[in-house]
Amino acid sequence: MEKIILLRVGELFLKGNNRHYFVSCLKNNILAALDGFSCRFNGTQNRMYVEEYDEEDESAIIKRLLCVFGISSISPAFKVLSDEKTLRETCDEISPKEGKFRVTVNRADKRINKTSMEIAREIGGYMLFKEKSRKVDLFSFDFEVNVDIRENGYSYISYEKIAAQGGLPVGCGGNAMLLLSGGIDSPVAAYRMAKRGVKIFAVHFHSFPYTSELAKEKVINLARILVPYCGEIELNVVPFTDIQYAIKEKCPIEYMITIMRRFMMRIAQRLSEQNNCGCIVTGESLGQVASQTMESINVTNSVVTLPVFRPLIGMDKTEIIETAQSIGTFETSILPYEDCCTVFLPKNPVIKPKIEYAVAYEERIENREELISEAIAHAEVLHIR
Amino acid sequence: MIYLDNAGTTPVLKECVDIVKECLETDFYNPSALYSPSVELSRKIRTAREEILTALRGDGNLVFTSSGSESDNTALFCTKKPNGSRIIVSATEHPAVYNCAMELLQRGYDVVFCGVDEYGRVKEDEFRSLINENTSLISIMHVNNETGCVNDIKKLCKIAKSIKPGVLFHSDGVQAVGKIKVNLSDLGVDLYSISGHKIHAPKGIAGLYIRAGVNIRPYIFGGGQEGGLRSSTENVSGILSFAYALKQATMKVNENADRLFLLRKKIIDGVPSEFRVVDCPTQSPYILYMAMPQVRGEVMLHSLEKYGVYIGTGSACSSKKTHKRLPALLGFDKEYENGTIRVSLNRFTSENDIDYFIKCLNLEYNTLKKYVRG
Repeated sequence: MEKIILLRVGELFLKGNNRHYFVSCLKNNILAALDGFSCRFNGTQNRMYVEEYDEEDESAIIKRLLCVFGISSISPAFKVLSDEKTLRETCDEISPKEGKFRVTVNRADKRINKTSMEIAREIGGYMLFKEKSRKVDLFSFDFEVNVDIRENGYSYISYEKIAAQGGLPVGCGGNAMLLLSGGIDSPVAAYRMAKRGVKIFAVHFHSFPYTSELAKEKVINLARILVPYCGEIELNVVPFTDIQYAIKEKCPIEYMITIMRRFMMRIAQRLSEQNNCGCIVTGESLGQVASQTMESINVTNSVVTLPVFRPLIGMDKTEIIETAQSIGTFETSILPYEDCCTVFLPKNPVIKPKIEYAVAYEERIENREELISEAIAHAEVLHIR
Repeated sequence: MIYLDNAGTTPVLKECVDIVKECLETDFYNPSALYSPSVELSRKIRTAREEILTALRGDGNLVFTSSGSESDNTALFCTKKPNGSRIIVSATEHPAVYNCAMELLQRGYDVVFCGVDEYGRVKEDEFRSLINENTSLISIMHVNNETGCVNDIKKLCKIAKSIKPGVLFHSDGVQAVGKIKVNLSDLGVDLYSISGHKIHAPKGIAGLYIRAGVNIRPYIFGGGQEGGLRSSTENVSGILSFAYALKQATMKVNENADRLFLLRKKIIDGVPSEFRVVDCPTQSPYILYMAMPQVRGEVMLHSLEKYGVYIGTGSACSSKKTHKRLPALLGFDKEYENGTIRVSLNRFTSENDIDYFIKCLNLEYNTLKKYVRG
């Protein structure tokens, strides 16, 4: 009796003719997640299995797969020959000895002469006969024995179903350029976009000497925590101090953050073009700070033509923190290193900036194009795996 | 590269590297074993211990530990103290003492913190008034790791013992040994912490001096090394290189200090006039603590990195915390509070190093002050 891990896909079932594309994307991501384990991955159109692994690795493999978007649930299962005696004996052997249960059979192998219902009844009867403290309850049960009878002569039996991430496989939804600050929100934004199949590229603005190597290290660590969900992340660390100096010198202090963010968006758009990204992603949540009011977002948004996705726009801070905790970025995000936005934080930042003002102030920075090109040219590109 | 964060740690002497190398490659034996190379090693350890005690004029025992923090922890936790008795520490102690005191407070001891003057030295009158009949332990650092001010340990110890005979007096001497003259018998302390990596020995070796007649409880149980107080296979390479480094450091301690005072003076004269400099009448020449208005210390630290100049912003053990005790205690104005930097020298620091540092500091300060926060 061989142990295997059974993977179920969620939303991919809804896909029509292009389903193959989504499935192959998912398979690649699963193979990447299994890197380092000795095992065989077997993926047909409808079922995916991990087989021939060291049993001691089972929980570690499941843990990795639980981060892969596109998998809706995971079950450790037993692979047995599809003959009736083996099926019922295995079901009895692997199930808990007491409690309410049901047996669900799926018979893809039509060479077997009984219906799914009949087989389920026989297995259930046998299990009741073997252990008197088991009871059948089809609706409110403690455990469900799933028997999946495949065409290849084998059946897969499982009784535990672990909910996985769901979503779409990373990569099938195109590329996005994420503004990754080092705070709580932007890693969560990355997670949510990756869940919709988007491959994440990231840009981080570094204000040396105002922000330290440790602050950069923190962002790298955040990206590293996101890798199991997002796959490899290309992180662009863009030197931002000269731009901040120019804004500080030429523009009113209350517009500091607004104009800084407009520069960030411009740089993000340029990097998007270089990396074939179809959108920009930010961790903004409406009204959270002065730069995230509707007016501020409008002013920063107006410098780019790409769509800007803000997956957290309608979320409360507490909801964002919950997700950050569940994906493991929270503890790193709250490390107290200054980020580029807080360096020149004015006492009273403008809450309702106006585009025409921002444009007029920016025009005072005559070499702005040059500053942007310089910043991009000196960006450090890190591949976080 | 110009390294001016020697109060954090120091580069290891080449001779110490050679000693370590030999210990790892040739003399790798366990000193507790019975064959002759091991016996030879245990003899070398005994000699090292004696050499250190002699150099510091100690009359008692020296327990080798893994760090200054371990020595401080041992002094505060492993000494005999009646429950609820009074423990006095200074308000500017290193976190290795300060946080032990906070823990003892939690455990129900009457822990009090003695205030300091504008240089960071314990205020004598306040100190005197804090000592009462219930006082069991006092811990006052010898040289402050941030400002470099020197507490008059001999006098404080005398005051303490005259008011409460039998009180235990510990001093953290990690920044003092090898940098100012230390005579343990003359100081009169019961316990004294020393550390290797502040005087060009490797990290991972330190010691706690215990005056003859003072008892502490064992705290690592096992094979009975270090007189049963701290079981663990001895860090042979650390101990031998520590003894060597300490001998070297104490040999010309006054000569070195005289030279460094001149360098330190040069820095004080060379920094922008709006800097506030802590220059104590009783001062270690190895440390210079300054504060800049408006510019953050950390920003200056990073700015100097690009010239290959490394300074500190305060104790490396507390520089990662957002809250810092010292600037407030020294009475700095608000605009200076975040602008503290610590420049710390070693006996090999040259005049050229200092000239270059002063040049870079002025250059960067003039740039940074243009962009102070609005």
